Amino acid sequence: MSNGFRGQALRTVGFVLGLVLGACVAITAGIALALTGTVPVQTGFLVAVLTGSALTLGWALAPVLFFGIDETLDPARFALLPLSRGVLTRGMLASAFIGVPAVCALLASLGLVAAAGLRFGAGPALVALLGIGVSLTVAVLASRAITSAFARLLRSRRTRDLAAVVIALLASSLTPLQWAITAAARHGSVGQALGVAQVAAWTPLGAGAALPYDAAAGRWDLVALRLGLLLGTIALLAWWWSRTSESAMLAAGSGSVVRGARTVGGGAVGTLIPGWLRPFVRPGPGAAIVARELRFWWRDGRRRPALVSIIAASAILPIMLSVTTASPLADASSRATLAGFGLAVCMSGMLTGILLCNQFGFDGSAFAAHLLSRVPGATDLRARAAAICVIVVPVQVLVVVAVCVVTGTLANLPLGLGVLASTVGTGLAAAAMLSVLAPYALPRNDNPFAANTGTGSVKGLLSLVALVAGLVLSAPVTVTAIRYGAAPWGALALPAGLAYGYAALRVGTTIAGELLDRRSPEVLTAVTPTR
Amino acid sequence: MPALVLRGLAKRFDGAVAVAGVDLDVPAGSFFGLLGPNGAGKTTTLSMAVGVLRPDAGAAFVLGHDVWADPVEAKRRLGVLPDGHRMFDRLTGAELLAYTGLLRGMEPGEVDARARDLLDVLGLADAGRTLVVDYSSGMKKKIGLACALLHAPRLLVLDEPFEAVDPVSAALIRDILHRYVHSGGTVIFSSHVMEVVEKLCTHVAIMAGGAIRAVGPLEAVRAGRDLEEVFVEVVGGRVALGRELSWL
Repeated sequence: MSNGFRGQALRTVGFVLGLVLGACVAITAGIALALTGTVPVQTGFLVAVLTGSALTLGWALAPVLFFGIDETLDPARFALLPLSRGVLTRGMLASAFIGVPAVCALLASLGLVAAAGLRFGAGPALVALLGIGVSLTVAVLASRAITSAFARLLRSRRTRDLAAVVIALLASSLTPLQWAITAAARHGSVGQALGVAQVAAWTPLGAGAALPYDAAAGRWDLVALRLGLLLGTIALLAWWWSRTSESAMLAAGSGSVVRGARTVGGGAVGTLIPGWLRPFVRPGPGAAIVARELRFWWRDGRRRPALVSIIAASAILPIMLSVTTASPLADASSRATLAGFGLAVCMSGMLTGILLCNQFGFDGSAFAAHLLSRVPGATDLRARAAAICVIVVPVQVLVVVAVCVVTGTLANLPLGLGVLASTVGTGLAAAAMLSVLAPYALPRNDNPFAANTGTGSVKGLLSLVALVAGLVLSAPVTVTAIRYGAAPWGALALPAGLAYGYAALRVGTTIAGELLDRRSPEVLTAVTPTR
Repeated sequence: MPALVLRGLAKRFDGAVAVAGVDLDVPAGSFFGLLGPNGAGKTTTLSMAVGVLRPDAGAAFVLGHDVWADPVEAKRRLGVLPDGHRMFDRLTGAELLAYTGLLRGMEPGEVDARARDLLDVLGLADAGRTLVVDYSSGMKKKIGLACALLHAPRLLVLDEPFEAVDPVSAALIRDILHRYVHSGGTVIFSSHVMEVVEKLCTHVAIMAGGAIRAVGPLEAVRAGRDLEEVFVEVVGGRVALGRELSWL
């Protein structure tokens, strides 16, 4: 682990910051959990089992969904070392317990031990400690087994690309899921929740947390039964994991198949820019870049998940925001409705720009082709912006129309579209500027699970800068629209927004393009992954 | 006029000298091999020569045009096969050629005709709708070469064109390069495979530690000896004496 820090002060600072933040959160959570030792037994049981289950489940799935697998410990890397399976498995297990998340989880769950101690005394507290240790082992083993099982599947590029999309969809559906759970919690009774907890306590997820409650009640038979369940799960997981990690070491074929040897009709240019588009599109550098970008947003395993989650977010966001702020009885032109609607559309439009904040990073060293053929910077930036608009803007327009229709506020439609146009324009302008000023290399391999560690993720935060800059730039239109947007003036927002957005994009790409013309070798160096 | 002239090209990375002032004259119509061990600075030198890596000092001229001061004219005459420079590999071979041609502002009709020729000659027409990312490494080198040749440049700069290429593809690439030089073009390529250089080149330069250590027509540099012998001597490598590794 210390090798990850060598000579990189920024990373070390990030790590320490993460450690401190994590410890603060963990200690707070631990204290909160410890306080459950003072509430009624039933509630305590409920909280303990549900938290324990959530922790175990989260741990098992989180690396796959969010953080990525640390490839330093990819089993395939150990394939050539003379290590027995047992040694390898134990070593990787031990390494899984070391790290910020593991320590934080341990700290937080010590709160459960404290709760048991507060309520029942020392004996059950010891049982609680045992339960937590066993539960954490289950969680770690499960996460390791799942990731190495996936690793095998992900050897082929095609599966990898597909998996990235599925994961992006899953991750972006988590927020609605959370809403659903909150809503259920609001309406459900404690009794129902207790039922859920009773069931969870008999699964490997929540069994560990339930142990002290059995022990305190003197039901040692139940304790033994739950422990047996946990240990059995551990044995099963260990067996599965050592099997999958062994097969993960065997390099599978790359799975490349030569696809249909169909001869290409209509010439090479026809395959890039279809013939029926010719009357509208003059084949040249700009058109070529648009055509290539359109293909890459779908074909590049790193772009597709980003695109899918941004599209999902830019659809979900305005729907949720306007549905929650617009009460059905309110007037379409009321200030609250307008503000909710306008801000929702504004955020949705801003998301388009986020995708292009590191647009040259997606190219990587292939960007050299643009340098070698001297593509004008402004042409390059405008073509990329146009391509992303072709993909994302129709969805956003559809969502705005749908929101207006569903909430019965069709009168606000021109306003919504105007705000959308202006924010898309300013967002893309800000992104163009940022992508030239602060490009960074994306990881070379395209395993969608590989975490972008170190400087990459730090620079990823820069997209927030573009977001804020875009919001500020678009503020004149958004604020004016919300302030004076009530019909009949609202209709003026459409042409005004279109003009403003177009002008912003035009000016932004001109300035950023001139900068790119001068800085393109530096941009290329910045986006070239180091070997 | 020389096809490529380098004057005092230098580059440091994080304080470490990668290229320490390279002067080189590549005569027009020559088949020029740039030899050197790994890490000698070959790729860095060629990247600066073609205008994708900004040098700390020095200048590069393609057929008299300064690459960094007058890039438009220089790059029009220049075709490049960059090593390690990933191509836009999520395109099919035909799409990639069309993309490269349009990017250079060529006429669509001309792009079509030349792309068809190149795909046929290089044996890539059968690949159909396979994406370049799924090509074998030999096919990748060939499509890269096709992209470099598409706009009929007068100077070809190739970085490791024969690395990881199967013998059949290598022979084909050699043939095409020979034909190109015979028709008046100039080729400079980097390599660390002596046999290839000995077989192909009219001129060689040996690079080590970021500087040119020997340069000239092949026969002059070789001086009747084996090129590999000269190379090891110039670079300063060691020859096993037989006493080491006695336990093996």
